[in-house]
Amino acid sequence: MSSAQQRAQALFNEPACDTNKAKDATARKKGCSKPLTPGAAAGGCAFDGAKIVLQPITDAAHLIHGALACEGNSWDNRGSASSGPSLWRRSFTTDLTELDVVMGQGEKKLFKAIREIVEAHRPPAVFVYSTCVTALIGDDLDAVCFRAAERFGVPVVPVHAAGFVGSKNLGNKLAGEALLDHVIGSVDPDDVSDMDVNIIGEFNLVGEFWAVKPLIEALGMRIRACIPGDARYIDVAGAHTARANMMVCSTALINLARKIEERWGIPFFEGSFYGVSDTSDALRQLARLLVDQGADGELLVRTEALIAEEERRVWNRLAPYRERLAGKRVLLNTGGVKSWSVVAALQEIGMEIVGTMTKKSTDEDKERIKALLKNEKHAFDSLAPRDLYAKLAGGEADIMLSGGRTQFIALKAKTPWLDINQERAYPYAGYDGMVELVKRIDLEIHNPIWAQVREPAPWMDGAAPSPTTGDADFVARTRKKFASATVDEMGEC
Amino acid sequence: MPQSAEKVLDHAPLFREPEYQAMFANKKAMFECGVATEAVDAQSEYTKSWDYREKNLARESLVVNPAKACQPLGAVFAAAGFERTMSFVHGSQGCVAYYRSHLSRHFKEPCSAVSSSMTEDAAVFGGLNNMVDGLANTYALYEPKMIAVSTTCMAEVIGDDLQSFIQTAKDKKSVPQEFDVPFAHTPAFVGSHVDGYDVMIKGTLEHFWKGVERKPNGRINIVPGFDGFCVGNNRELKRVLDLMGVDYTLISDASDQFDTPSDGEYRMYDGGTKLDDVKEALNSKATISLQHWNTRKTLDYAAARGQDTASFHYPMGVRATDELLMKVSELSGKAIPEALRLERGRLVDAMADSQAYLHGKKYAIYGDPDFVTAMARFVMETGGEPVHCLATNGTKHWEEELRPILDASPFGKDGKIWAGKDLWHLRSLLFTEPVDFLIGSSYGKYLERDTGTPLIRLTFPIFDRHHHHRFPLWGYQGALRVLTTILDKHFDKYDHDTVIAGKTDYSFDLTR
Repeated sequence: MSSAQQRAQALFNEPACDTNKAKDATARKKGCSKPLTPGAAAGGCAFDGAKIVLQPITDAAHLIHGALACEGNSWDNRGSASSGPSLWRRSFTTDLTELDVVMGQGEKKLFKAIREIVEAHRPPAVFVYSTCVTALIGDDLDAVCFRAAERFGVPVVPVHAAGFVGSKNLGNKLAGEALLDHVIGSVDPDDVSDMDVNIIGEFNLVGEFWAVKPLIEALGMRIRACIPGDARYIDVAGAHTARANMMVCSTALINLARKIEERWGIPFFEGSFYGVSDTSDALRQLARLLVDQGADGELLVRTEALIAEEERRVWNRLAPYRERLAGKRVLLNTGGVKSWSVVAALQEIGMEIVGTMTKKSTDEDKERIKALLKNEKHAFDSLAPRDLYAKLAGGEADIMLSGGRTQFIALKAKTPWLDINQERAYPYAGYDGMVELVKRIDLEIHNPIWAQVREPAPWMDGAAPSPTTGDADFVARTRKKFASATVDEMGEC
Repeated sequence: MPQSAEKVLDHAPLFREPEYQAMFANKKAMFECGVATEAVDAQSEYTKSWDYREKNLARESLVVNPAKACQPLGAVFAAAGFERTMSFVHGSQGCVAYYRSHLSRHFKEPCSAVSSSMTEDAAVFGGLNNMVDGLANTYALYEPKMIAVSTTCMAEVIGDDLQSFIQTAKDKKSVPQEFDVPFAHTPAFVGSHVDGYDVMIKGTLEHFWKGVERKPNGRINIVPGFDGFCVGNNRELKRVLDLMGVDYTLISDASDQFDTPSDGEYRMYDGGTKLDDVKEALNSKATISLQHWNTRKTLDYAAARGQDTASFHYPMGVRATDELLMKVSELSGKAIPEALRLERGRLVDAMADSQAYLHGKKYAIYGDPDFVTAMARFVMETGGEPVHCLATNGTKHWEEELRPILDASPFGKDGKIWAGKDLWHLRSLLFTEPVDFLIGSSYGKYLERDTGTPLIRLTFPIFDRHHHHRFPLWGYQGALRVLTTILDKHFDKYDHDTVIAGKTDYSFDLTR
């Protein structure tokens, strides 16, 4: 068994993952994503996943070792935000050409490329990503990185996540492994305190973590490292000194949180900043973990006071939307984003949840869904795209909230749609983010184009072949178009 | 010295050189006797206030930066849409030079028009001799098939009678008796270019239809109206009508006249409505106008000759195009083909794709009345709010017609209509009640400079951007173009606002 396979197998066996724990030995061995079907549409590769996780470390240089396309096609395609350095958005690649591949000049070229980066930019670290081509021709990434680090006096981190290794999600986790192997624990900060926390799996999309950060800091906590959103390399390198970890996107980086706990004894909890009650819970749990670790118990009192004040403020801001949104039906197709308190907030202003996916929810989450939803049938394990289409085309929802990949299912089914995933333009995290989300839903639902979208051309009579919502034949025909699509390939995160 | 023979600087960089800057500063300090910079700044600030706005709107006599042109410009444009037709403007030649340069600068094409070159003696004794000589010269020099006569203020003030002058000229053999010389009185002190367009079209129809018996058939006449986008629009219109299989005649089609190819041949005349077709158009079942406020007299005349009439306001956007197609379908008995239904669906799809970026955006719109009405409707279709709708040549009737259109939509109910106001009024409006975007012509660039409101150029005249007029704004395809133009401006602004490296570029995103 190759080492890449061994690595992948080890990652699949994730004890902190509830889904994994529920599996039997054979199922576990198969891994957590279904094997890809040749010929069927699929999402991104392991390289993409690794890059997504590491690239938001803003002051590092990210060098892609391979032919041009891997970097060329993915250059600056994520909406993470930086409050300072911009080096992470610079596109570095070794741009291997045919002769390089045939003659095996990849390693030399890589070494030179690292030198040029270090000379020109003096970054605190260089991340080097392998790709299919360089993994296949057998470039020894570890050796080159080791030698380069030694020669140039800068950490050079090899990231082994060539595309063929597996899915994008596996790439996320392999990036986490790279951090564990080479980065975290490599620097000991001189200002350690018992109020230090790490936020893991928070990407600071559209700068939304900045809506949460002031709250955490107002409580007197210090964020040692937010991994990876708006991170600095040295902070990540010193992340092992924090007292508590919050795991935000566990789908991507649960292995990182668990192994940090194993190695350095830092406890973690899974939480989310989406929605009012989840934000409150996250603050509460961070405080609780710190106090458990020896921080002053007064922190808990301060936290409750802040939560009470913020919640009062946010509900006041949400109240005006009740009139415009009460009774509107929402279909949530949220994938990796845990959003039970989004449900609660939407219900609070009178919106009705007509569907939500529980595929990635824990048993505890499912209990909460039961408590929140009037009709249990509205909780779906998952909906295949064709079923999603049928529901929307059947007029069962006034709006769908989802990531970009199911966008066009909604639009072609003539239903308003709001991006709540990585390509969105507005921040939804924290208390104020919830208000922003509701405001966006309001704008979306009330845009006049939807009346146009739903109506046939005015010269068409009812008898004409127009895709009206009531036309069962049309729905059936169109469903077929999505029939071959699987749930996974439309998956989010 | 800042200027040297090795590297001669253009004026833009040259006057920024320290020597020139010092000279300007010196001149200002020593000779200009101006008020203090603070006083200038204070006055400039004052022009942004509500107080100033009220005084500005109370202006009674002075017009500052009018968004309209004069009647003969409309008449010259109308005449350019007929086969081998030379515009002959009776009056002083300076006016005509303006029309030519105005149209040339917009279309980036040569524009031919002549005048009777009236001078002082003509003003005293009447312009008859100028008409007689002028028609003879025009006929001999430029070999037109028709000469369309309009007037400048000068001829109107002294009261020259075109009908008798032209008859006299023909009697004196300036041009053959049967030669076509339609005419229209177009004093600049009445109405605007849209009215000049109207009377020139009406004059041409009258010329060909007068005294002829009408034998009705199933054809439809279409009068496009004064339109700086005629090149793209008329071609798109013809494509759509051909798709439907409609039998039609465009009355005045300048799309080829103002878009001649560079193939080594100079075309003084190109394309245009055939004169035989204009004659035959009397027999058409109906005449429809695409710009109501451009064609009121023309439509009255067509109705008086027994034709059905209908009018629209610049068919731009989903609903406006729907209305036109359905009317044409009703009049012609031809069904709207599936291809157009698909085009409509694609437009609606595009609007849905981008709606989040346009929702709730506020606009100030100015231009000719029909354009402003159309633009306001389209903006509302995208979820935008037409906050200021201004037409210097808009009338009270226009205002009364547009009001209910705005009131019918939650996006328009707070919109204000400014009939008869000018661009200096609009400046005050933009300062006191700001909007996200300004839609209008090139003249809006001064408002963009002063108020910082991004300008979207979508109507005549567009002097400082090239070739926009070659693409349509009408129909579903045109609406797609309008949508894209508005979105481009939005995204450009978004990028511009986030472009400072290390400061605002955390939102300088590749994907929008």
